[in-house]
Amino acid sequence: MKWLSVVLSLFLTTQIYANETINARQLLKDMSLAVQERNFDASFVVVKGKGMEPYRWIHGQVEQTDLEILTLLNGAGLEVVRVDDVVTYFEPQTEPYSVNTDAIAGPIPEVLLRDIDSLNESYEFVLGGKERIAGRPAQLVRLVAKDENKYNYWLWVDLQSALLLKAAYVNQRSEVLEQLQLTHISVTEKPANQLLELHEREFPKPSSSKELQAQAKKQNNWQIAWLPKGFKLLKSDRHKLDLNNELADYFLYSDGLVEISVFVQRPLSGQRASGALTSGATTVYVHNAGAYDVSVVGKVPVDTAKTIAESVKRAL
Amino acid sequence: MTQSKFNVNNEEVTSEILDGECALNGSNQAQLDAHKFARYALIGDVMRQKEQSTACIDITSSVAAALADEPVYTATDNTAVKQKDDEKVVQMSFWRRPISQVAIAASVALCTVVGVNNFMPQNAVDTHSPVLQSTPLTGSVAPVSFSSEQPALQSAEQGLRELQKQRIGALVLEHQRQSRMAHALSQNTAQADKEQQEEK
Repeated sequence: MKWLSVVLSLFLTTQIYANETINARQLLKDMSLAVQERNFDASFVVVKGKGMEPYRWIHGQVEQTDLEILTLLNGAGLEVVRVDDVVTYFEPQTEPYSVNTDAIAGPIPEVLLRDIDSLNESYEFVLGGKERIAGRPAQLVRLVAKDENKYNYWLWVDLQSALLLKAAYVNQRSEVLEQLQLTHISVTEKPANQLLELHEREFPKPSSSKELQAQAKKQNNWQIAWLPKGFKLLKSDRHKLDLNNELADYFLYSDGLVEISVFVQRPLSGQRASGALTSGATTVYVHNAGAYDVSVVGKVPVDTAKTIAESVKRAL
Repeated sequence: MTQSKFNVNNEEVTSEILDGECALNGSNQAQLDAHKFARYALIGDVMRQKEQSTACIDITSSVAAALADEPVYTATDNTAVKQKDDEKVVQMSFWRRPISQVAIAASVALCTVVGVNNFMPQNAVDTHSPVLQSTPLTGSVAPVSFSSEQPALQSAEQGLRELQKQRIGALVLEHQRQSRMAHALSQNTAQADKEQQEEK
């Protein structure tokens, strides 16, 4: 008798549980669809510790062309424009350049606006509670990292329009490190005027995907012995850094949501201790290995960056 | 025998109602086990990690009930006579009693919820790594002493700091730039993997 009820209730709850995970996933899929299909004009801020960055984000479709503009409103500025599968970055002191990809690499991880299934390997999707965000009812969805050496990502999705209202990088103790909050959004029938102008403008040609492929994974002078689960090597080469013309052996890793850069460089003179700098969720860890310096940059906890940096050895 | 059969039937009906497989109506209302229903719903909530995975054990009603059963000492005639001496006290205590009972019950419930919250795993304690103090981002200047070697040392150190600051700036910018390629690169790799698998 009792057993029956226990089995019954377990069966019942597991079924509900399964339903809910599908719902969390479905909600994110609805969100990425909404972002891809609707005409909207939104403003949001990114808060990193004491710093704050305001952005404007416009998206729309003009004559079956998908158009998107993301502008950083403070400081010298950054403007990113997407016309279908060509994303162009306009920055101060640099020639504008284009990349052949279907999403802008901005404060919102691209994968969330496109193919969330690629996150299955590294993250769990958990449905949270309902909250009021930006004056609208919102549903919390938590991306919980399967490896505890990474941060979690929380998203609040508008229950009515399925658009993203708020997002945050959260550490394992549920402390918010960096958050993004929509302050205004208007969803319209017709695309915004700025987008109409874009349609006529010309942009630099992106390098083809074959060239990208050729650039990637060219060197293996170093062994990176440890990385959190789920990170895959996307690129490795040796190049000069733009800002100070220093040569570096470079590795780019990604787990689908966040990227990690590993730099191996000639050491700076003088005795310097290893150490970390953080800004919001981004960590910079500089490890002084004696004959060379290893620096790790990415949205990972300090301890993770430290372990990665210390695991770098010369390849035999 | 008939008793147990009846119970099984009740449970099925209860779970079906919770499931929404059958509607609650006059015919099966008698068979609905309200306590079991509440427990099923609670199990469901906990499994789904609703309410930030806080198991909310509602003991307010039982605490309130327990308080209601407490002997009420002021109700005897003797005390009523005494209290006539000081009318203010009587009024206050009459006015306060029901509210204070609720307040105690509520605060007990709050305690359990807070307690569960605090009980969350705390094993992920940061072993604080040293923070690079050599690169103050605000650029504040340390007080300068008047020793003869100090300025030279300091300027050397400052130069090194400047270099390191510059380097870190360059690294962060480079990371930002390279990250922009990540999405395209990962899509390319995924595609290449797929093609390879198809070839096999």
